[in-house]
Amino acid sequence: MKKKVLAVLLMAAMTATLLAGCGNNAETPAPAEEPAAEEPAASEPAADASKMSFEIVSKGLQHEYWQAVKQGVESKAEELGVSVNFVGPDSESNYDQQVQQMENALNSTPTAIGLAALSTDTLMAQLQTCLDNNIPVVGFDSGVPGAPEGSVLANCSTDNYAAGALAAEKVYEAVKDKIDGTVRVGVVAQDSVSESVVNRGLGFIDKFAELAVADGHTATVVGNERYINDAKCEKSDGANVIIDVRVPQQVDSAMSVADVNSLLGEDGIIALYGSNEHSANAIVTAAENHPEIGDTVVAAGFDSGSAQIQAVRDGVLLGSITQAPVAMGEILVQTLYDAAQGKPVSDTDTGCQWYTAENIDNPEIWDNLYGK
Amino acid sequence: MTEKKKGNAFTDNPLVKAIGLQKIVVVLVLILLVLVFSVASSSFRQYSTLLSILDCTYYLALLGIGVTFCLITGGVDLSIGTGMFCYALIGGYLITKAGTPVIVGILVTVLCGLIVGTINGLIVSKGGHAPFLATLCTMMIVRGMGAIVTNNSSITWPSAKAPNGWTRLLFKLDVGGTKVPIGLLWVLILAVVMSIFLNKTRPGRYIIAIGSNKEATRLSGVNVGKYQTLAYMISGVFTGLAALAYSSAFQSMIPGGGGGIELNAIGGAIIGGTSMSGGMGTISGTIIGVFLMSVLQLGLPMIGLQANWQQVIIGLVLIIAVYIDVLKNKRLA
Repeated sequence: MKKKVLAVLLMAAMTATLLAGCGNNAETPAPAEEPAAEEPAASEPAADASKMSFEIVSKGLQHEYWQAVKQGVESKAEELGVSVNFVGPDSESNYDQQVQQMENALNSTPTAIGLAALSTDTLMAQLQTCLDNNIPVVGFDSGVPGAPEGSVLANCSTDNYAAGALAAEKVYEAVKDKIDGTVRVGVVAQDSVSESVVNRGLGFIDKFAELAVADGHTATVVGNERYINDAKCEKSDGANVIIDVRVPQQVDSAMSVADVNSLLGEDGIIALYGSNEHSANAIVTAAENHPEIGDTVVAAGFDSGSAQIQAVRDGVLLGSITQAPVAMGEILVQTLYDAAQGKPVSDTDTGCQWYTAENIDNPEIWDNLYGK
Repeated sequence: MTEKKKGNAFTDNPLVKAIGLQKIVVVLVLILLVLVFSVASSSFRQYSTLLSILDCTYYLALLGIGVTFCLITGGVDLSIGTGMFCYALIGGYLITKAGTPVIVGILVTVLCGLIVGTINGLIVSKGGHAPFLATLCTMMIVRGMGAIVTNNSSITWPSAKAPNGWTRLLFKLDVGGTKVPIGLLWVLILAVVMSIFLNKTRPGRYIIAIGSNKEATRLSGVNVGKYQTLAYMISGVFTGLAALAYSSAFQSMIPGGGGGIELNAIGGAIIGGTSMSGGMGTISGTIIGVFLMSVLQLGLPMIGLQANWQQVIIGLVLIIAVYIDVLKNKRLA
């Protein structure tokens, strides 16, 4: 009897894991029959769009973010009359699968390749093949950091620093009339290590300080050392706009919510900014106990998780910044198109958008949100 | 307290007194802390702070109740922190990504806790592993499993206003705009039930006896392995319940997170008078202990201490608590 119970429990565990763990396997393109390496055609710039074929190897496929990139890729490809094949591994830790997909891409003798590498190290051989055969590679999203010299021509990615600055402009606009005496602006950051999170924070801090100083105020940064050291503004004791950066000791919602609670306890708090989904969610969760968020304290977020979208609709968050994956896909294809014709290409900021309760349903915003 | 004496023939009056004394001291420290925080920070005095402290207390208290059983057997369960995140991730994944009914997600969350707790118990009792090592291993396993199941993405349980959002109301009701911390009631009911189970039922008394003197318990004809396993199963189920409390209060979690939370719960239990060497401990003490931990967690940032200083202070508090435990054992010896 005991054994039976145990067996049932184990079965349940396995079934749960199976149900949860298996996604649909992405259709991988069948390898072409003849190997690509011998083809000299790739070295000649193709002038005719209908003969161009782009292979795009993404970091993922199922997630709505990547689906949005794919949507942009396909619409631009149709517009230009080129053919594209968009693939990505089942998860962002599936390095081997991405290597395989990159191999398949090379086998199909593409005109150019778009790549968001999971790990550049595992793709070194394939990148070298591209270089040897003059197949242009353009990075997108997080790009291909540390790729062999000359193999990646350009990157199409979000400028996180500029995106943080956009949030600062919007928040400053909403609170500038409330800056009276000493006020405090809270920045809730998930960490002080990740490049994207730090840049989103610094972009906000620098822009907010710049706008405040331009209006005749003085600004300073307190809280986390990394942000204090890297922020551009002069740090002084007597400033009347205090930008207070809180970073939890680990990525734990309870700790970030505690950060928000303590920021709300400070005198003169007028605004909060959460620089990614985790931090924005912490503000939204804290708002349940603190009705002043969305009322006397203006709050803004970054990214577009489901709870965050709801909070934007409800007015708890004034708005949030979203990356523009659809535009990223379009710009990627345009860059690949230019590169294939031998035109010079350069790194492009694929942009970001500020969404609020008013504009969230516009298709050009809605298509970019992932937590729907 | 008097029940404990019956359940454990080796204890005598001074010891019982000592436990009572510790609880009184902890409550006094708690009152002192609340006073200090209230004076130092005007915002600490607000009702919203009490709500936030309770949000933190629910999951810590549930973890604490469970792990107290392991501690009393002389063992420990280190898998509860990452486990709580793992089960909340799996439950949340089923609800928000796989589209299963909310009740299924909730049941799977608790079931996952039961399964891992059972595995812990079997490794310790049948496999003969040291509890510290056994649960350290499962801690790693559940940390990985959470990431595998969710495809490495963070999970957000449904919002309060979403159609599936009633889980958010399990621990905090909204009555005409006023938040009512209903979770306190559930936690107290569970604490009373488990306290009665520990002190007044045969399995509970066996668990205390195992921690007090395993060999003597075995020789008196008790199936030691069975009741040891039971302690870890209880810890697992309460970890699953804690995962629900965490999801209800904080809504989102990331794969691989939760490490270190087990120490807050174990620390709370020790502060409340549960002995690291087993055979001694009360549920009421654990509840008071974890409450002290969450007051520290909320109060320290409010008086302007940054995250790293909070860790230092909580570490120091634990050293003192363990030292009291050591002193108590010396007195017993």
